[in-house]
Amino acid sequence: MFVGIDVGGTYTDAVLLDKDQVRAFAKVPTREDLLDTLIEAIDMIVRDADKQKIERIVFSTTIITNLIAERKYEYVDLLIMPGPGLSHDCYKYKPYVHIISGAIDYRGREVISLKEQEIEAIMLEIAKSGSKNVGVVGKFSTRNTSHEKQVAKIINDKYPEWNVELGAKIGSQLNFPRRIETTYLTCATREPYHHFIESVRQALIKRDIHADVFILKADGGTIPLHGSEEVPVETIFSGPAASTLGVLALTGPGETAVVVDIGGTTTDLALILSGQPLLSAKGARVMDRLTQVRALAVKSLAVGGDSVLNIVEEEINISGQRMGPAQCLGGPSPTPTDALRVLNMTDLGDRDKATAAMAVLGEDLNLSAEEVARRVVDRVVDIITAEIKKMFLEWEQEPAYRIWDILHKHAIKPTIVAGVGGGAVGFTARIAEKLGCRTVIPQYSTVANAIGAALAKPTMQVNLRADTEQGYYIIQEEGHQEKISDRDFNEQKALALAKDSLVQRAAKYGVEIAPGEIEVTRLEVFNMIRDWNTTGRLYDITVQTPRGIVSRIRMGE
Amino acid sequence: MKYGSKTGLIFFPAFDWAISPTHPEREERLLYTRDQIFEEGIMDLPQIAEYAPALASIHDIARLHFCVPNVEAQTTEAHLIAAGAAILLADNIVKGEIKNGFALVRPPGHHAMRVVHGNRGFCNINNEAIMVDYLRTRHGLKKIAIIDTDVHHGDGTQDIFWHDPDVLFISFHQDGRTLYPGTGYTYELGGPRAYARTINIPLQPGTTDESLLYVVDNLILPILKDFKPEFIVNSAGQDNHYSDPLGGMRITANGYARLTEKLRPDLAVLEGGYAIETALPYVNMGIILALAGLDYSNVREPDYWPGRFKESAERTMHVERLVDELLQRWEMRDKTSPDSKKITGNYYTRGKHIFYDTDYIEENQVEKLKICNNCPGYLLIDSEANHGHSRSGKVLCISVPFTACGACRSEAAGIYEQTKKSAQYKYIYLQDKTADIFFSYNTEGQIEWRSEG
Repeated sequence: MFVGIDVGGTYTDAVLLDKDQVRAFAKVPTREDLLDTLIEAIDMIVRDADKQKIERIVFSTTIITNLIAERKYEYVDLLIMPGPGLSHDCYKYKPYVHIISGAIDYRGREVISLKEQEIEAIMLEIAKSGSKNVGVVGKFSTRNTSHEKQVAKIINDKYPEWNVELGAKIGSQLNFPRRIETTYLTCATREPYHHFIESVRQALIKRDIHADVFILKADGGTIPLHGSEEVPVETIFSGPAASTLGVLALTGPGETAVVVDIGGTTTDLALILSGQPLLSAKGARVMDRLTQVRALAVKSLAVGGDSVLNIVEEEINISGQRMGPAQCLGGPSPTPTDALRVLNMTDLGDRDKATAAMAVLGEDLNLSAEEVARRVVDRVVDIITAEIKKMFLEWEQEPAYRIWDILHKHAIKPTIVAGVGGGAVGFTARIAEKLGCRTVIPQYSTVANAIGAALAKPTMQVNLRADTEQGYYIIQEEGHQEKISDRDFNEQKALALAKDSLVQRAAKYGVEIAPGEIEVTRLEVFNMIRDWNTTGRLYDITVQTPRGIVSRIRMGE
Repeated sequence: MKYGSKTGLIFFPAFDWAISPTHPEREERLLYTRDQIFEEGIMDLPQIAEYAPALASIHDIARLHFCVPNVEAQTTEAHLIAAGAAILLADNIVKGEIKNGFALVRPPGHHAMRVVHGNRGFCNINNEAIMVDYLRTRHGLKKIAIIDTDVHHGDGTQDIFWHDPDVLFISFHQDGRTLYPGTGYTYELGGPRAYARTINIPLQPGTTDESLLYVVDNLILPILKDFKPEFIVNSAGQDNHYSDPLGGMRITANGYARLTEKLRPDLAVLEGGYAIETALPYVNMGIILALAGLDYSNVREPDYWPGRFKESAERTMHVERLVDELLQRWEMRDKTSPDSKKITGNYYTRGKHIFYDTDYIEENQVEKLKICNNCPGYLLIDSEANHGHSRSGKVLCISVPFTACGACRSEAAGIYEQTKKSAQYKYIYLQDKTADIFFSYNTEGQIEWRSEG
């Protein structure tokens, strides 16, 4: 049996699955004491008889996201090596950034060497401030990790108790500013994330559960609990990933779907293209920080069932704020939920109260309560459908760098709109109608997130870069750099090397993968021609385990 | 024109296209540029808007070129994407979505002339010229300037706008006596109706940033100020760089950035540049930052140090003389009468021998411009290409300019209809830019093709 637990900011949802059936589900408020909350959720779905049969338990959480939003994290110092290029002023505005000498170029060649005294001076400064979390990030460090490693060694030799993170291992893509931000967040969230992990461990010990424990990542894959401590930022924004996977589990295979998660204050939108959740092209945006964290492409709109409605310049306006529940449920202000109630598109709450709320709004505009309600619903539906269309357009217009990609990328249209979350029922049908799609409100849609978490597959990725002219390769996630000794190194060998590294890395985290199921998501081979002769080859390879869900839920009729 | 606040970028390295596996114009060309601009996070900057390229239409190409036998035969998808990228950015600039743009695309285009029998100087179709005529048709732009900063003379662009008084073409390049295509001398100044709207600035090998920027400040910018273009295009070749394997100049990435900052082009389009590791990553960064109004002073080649290149006194003097000579030509632009020996009846005639180095084709052309008192006059181009093994057969190309008068339009249409009946030509083409309608006619099969905007 599988357990999925989604720890949200307001509610914690839990499900117990037995093969393709939902055995139990629960929704409890998320309280200050995380351990208590987890235990309560577990107790509501798991009885003693089940405990031994639980094979795996998966957690997803927005806790890290909330910590970042509230800026409740550790002080971090970054040593960065930007070298030539963009002006260093671009990096100087943050107090924790220390710029040091040293530069590597796009081929991994050293352009400017390190200056040890500089590093010593900065270490002294950091030591004085009492901080001990340090990130070391170099431009093009993914092409040659030696500078980052040397700096780390200098630091660790003098201050062995400091935590030092290397940018090359954390941000394997080509994007130095995003590598800096991702490294920063990794350093900053390590301690608080450790507390989360500890709460999870204790909850499981207290309830005597010995299943495999995983954490859901933002890309919709899972990672074993103990391994996740190395990459805490990968768990940010796993909430939307959970509900998207939940929709995958609760709908038919191969669908192109829009997942509409209408909550109290926000609406989250995600896309599933032919059965694959769409990833954001370059990485997640965490508040105002652009990162390299692989994440689903999720749009969050400041419109929800409890958004306060008011009149601005003789028009009905949906403010981005929530003052409490809808008026029909005893709240203080008129909301979209009241509009739904007036039109009988929901049976939540008291219709008379809802009508009164709409009537007040209608007074100034000389409109009946029903007319106001219709306009409110239209407005919400318009905002959400416009954003959905924009997401598809953005996907279509995503830059491509090969002719093949440009010629083979065709406009696609969603076939279903899947509503999950509390406010889903009333609006989803109207949104689907406007987009010419079918509506699906899956059974268990209110706990789709926990179902998605429970069924998510573990995922791992490895990026390999090999440069035969210079004669070395790098496994980026491991920060491992080695000479190529094989004189007949070729594409097949590079690919085999990448796959082997993936299997080994997975084993390290306790994940078993069959070589046959490894996906190659990037395979770039460039011949290097100098003076009309081939002098070497460049290989850039990304291999990963397939993303997705272990199984689908069978729907009760 | 409205003005947006961002710099639009289309990066299209065509990682799956090459002229041949070891040709300079191959997959690897923009690989290190990709590495550099991606690693710097350029596409994430708030000053930058990245666009996905779109394909140019066959109609957009037929508006500008006479492709023999047809557009499809002379273009691959890569060409359509490169030209389409220039068009897409230009469209967004004119609409005010972005303030300026850079089409970092390949293959290049500035050696492609009006009539296209094959590939010359790595080019099949002229991306900038196609975009210019698109802007004139779709947005009604009247006056446009093209500044060609490639080390090779932009002979294709020059050929296309030779008779066009509304398009100013300025090219600086390494002296044609020392480099392909061997043209671009100061005396090449444009046709009788567009005198000095073509300006060529041949520079001596070894020229440094200093002389180049002298030319910009004292010649190019004053001419632009007089001409008052509504839109400035930069054919941004990067082979003036000191490390370029084909050219012999000594311009730095910083020099290119300063050049861009001074020219303030609305749209830059990549042309040549084959120092793919030592120049392109840095020059492209410099151009992007300059266009976006960002500090480019930290963009530096690993083997460069300030003061590495010093201009010789002799070259400085040469450049000063060159600038004076060309300024005088420019001053006389509306007072110079055409060479009477080239005028027969109502036509101004010039003969051309064109060599296609990549495809080894030799083309002979007789180009006749109708001398009209009411408009720039239509063009008749009689062309025949020798492909080595065979001849293409003669083709007749008739081009009616945007500002043609009614009489010239109907006269040109009459010539087209009449020639269709004779077996003298294998293909006959008619471009009527005033109506945005293009015809081609195959006399053997008696088949007509027509394209309307």
